[in-house]
Amino acid sequence: MELDDMLKDKITLDIVKFFHENQSSIDTPRGIATWIKAEKQKVKKSLDMLVKQGILIDHKAPSITGYSYTRDEAIIKKIDTKLKEE
Amino acid sequence: MTEAEVVQNEHYKRLLQYLEENLDLKRIGQTLSGSLGSFGLWLIDKEKLARMKKIENILCRAAKKDDTAKKACVESINSVIEKTDNSKKLELFRCLLANHGFCQPLIDQGTVFGYIIACQLRKEPPLSIITLLAYFFETILKGIKKEMELENLYKTMRPRAIALSTVHTVHRLITSSLNPDELLSRIARLSMQIIRANRCSIKLVDSKKKTLLPKATVDLRTKKTRLKKVRIGRWAPGKAVKFGKTIRGEGYLAIPLIDEDVIGVITLYDKIDKQPFNIYDEEIMKTMAEQAAIAIKNAQLYKEQEKLTMGSINALAQIIESRGPGIYTPKSSFLRIVQLIGQEFKMKNHELQNLQYATLLHDAGELMIPEHVLKKKGKLTDKEYRLIREHPLKGAKIIKSLKSLKSIAPIIMYHHESFNGEGYPKGLKGSEIPLGARIVAVVGTFEALIAKRPYRVALSIDRAIEEIKKNSGRQFDPKIVEAFLKTVKRKDIFNLLKKELYGTG
Repeated sequence: MELDDMLKDKITLDIVKFFHENQSSIDTPRGIATWIKAEKQKVKKSLDMLVKQGILIDHKAPSITGYSYTRDEAIIKKIDTKLKEE
Repeated sequence: MTEAEVVQNEHYKRLLQYLEENLDLKRIGQTLSGSLGSFGLWLIDKEKLARMKKIENILCRAAKKDDTAKKACVESINSVIEKTDNSKKLELFRCLLANHGFCQPLIDQGTVFGYIIACQLRKEPPLSIITLLAYFFETILKGIKKEMELENLYKTMRPRAIALSTVHTVHRLITSSLNPDELLSRIARLSMQIIRANRCSIKLVDSKKKTLLPKATVDLRTKKTRLKKVRIGRWAPGKAVKFGKTIRGEGYLAIPLIDEDVIGVITLYDKIDKQPFNIYDEEIMKTMAEQAAIAIKNAQLYKEQEKLTMGSINALAQIIESRGPGIYTPKSSFLRIVQLIGQEFKMKNHELQNLQYATLLHDAGELMIPEHVLKKKGKLTDKEYRLIREHPLKGAKIIKSLKSLKSIAPIIMYHHESFNGEGYPKGLKGSEIPLGARIVAVVGTFEALIAKRPYRVALSIDRAIEEIKKNSGRQFDPKIVEAFLKTVKRKDIFNLLKKELYGTG
């Protein structure tokens, strides 16, 4: 999926904005839902989609999954340009 | 100007800016025009230079006509400002062309930091309106100060709260793993993520050899570095361990892992943004290292405990075996077979572990049966047969007395139940029989069939498989038989079995 299409969804856009502003953050769907004031289930769905697209990294453990921002500089640069346009 | 004064001035500037953005003076003027006629309303800075510029902007057409009028107007405004500075309350004034005006001071912590000035009023405002206006502006200012405080709080607290949430998530992620290798690799990845570094290496102390052994390295660079042992005291990681303190350079950050003693070191290299490591990185990694050291120690203790349990189980299994017909059974193959079958049924790690323990101990109840009965070559008497049939119950009783093995008691108790309900001791049927017991029933029977017994010869692997198939749906759960057949036909398993049984494979 193209970045433009992904960011049309408000929750996905808010998640990307959150991680772009807090690149050291590692958080759970519940935590991220709190930061962006959105519903946990919808946040989880967007998080998993962003992992598939390589924008986020998931850290899975038996009872918890943490999500963090990509380390790929090309992706980060692309997102930066896109968010500035926004 | 002192540092405190600079901070204070900055605060007032921000307050004025906030007021400018949030106070709709035009609208207030329009609202009041009904009772006061049309007039101008301005927000004026305390600072003289900015104040003068604004005053010049507010001058009416008449005042701008000539320099004398301009001077008189500026003077009247400046003098009311001075008066307001002293009284710290709304003051009225008269300006050019006998117009009226008022000046409302903006006060924060007892200091006037700005003014709201109204001029070109055609008549003097009545006292009731003056009082109301003063109250209105004070209330507005209070609200704006509150809002600013909240915004400040949000700006300072939010990054800290996000960092705290990260620390909490990391703590949960690393404490959920008790496998030391998996744990170390996870700590390395998480550290790299938090600090945004390109490489992380975790080394643990080998106290006997006074070296640091590389245990986990994650390297995102194209040119990878080879894992190397490091002498304690050498390079950044060695120094961090020797002195028990963080060693920070532009391109590296080595943090000792301390749990009573120094147990190792986490070293990060090359930040993604190519910036040098800073004090913030150091502080956050110190917190991370504290959590990591505890998690590593716990995982090491768990592994030791596991080894101890496994040792005791193996010892018990050998005692059980020595009391049986004296035939060696291929333990490694069976442990692998039950593990693979368990995985087919999506059993969790601890369930798989229990299944392996149960496989080794399923006949623990035989310890309670006289040896001559177990080794008898002829037909068993009814009494002897009854004794044999009691071994699952007795085995479960023995196992239940060992707290760490309590959870495998049901597997041992029901491993002689039949899928069609004709087994013992309870005559359970189908899914009433615990999954682990259904697995051990198949694998345990297979083990018995390929082993030589006092009363019969050992069957070949193929014949034993045929026997298991024949009893699918009767003695055994067909789904378990299916998984068993898939497993036992695997080349690696078949070879392992042959090797353990006949020394070939």
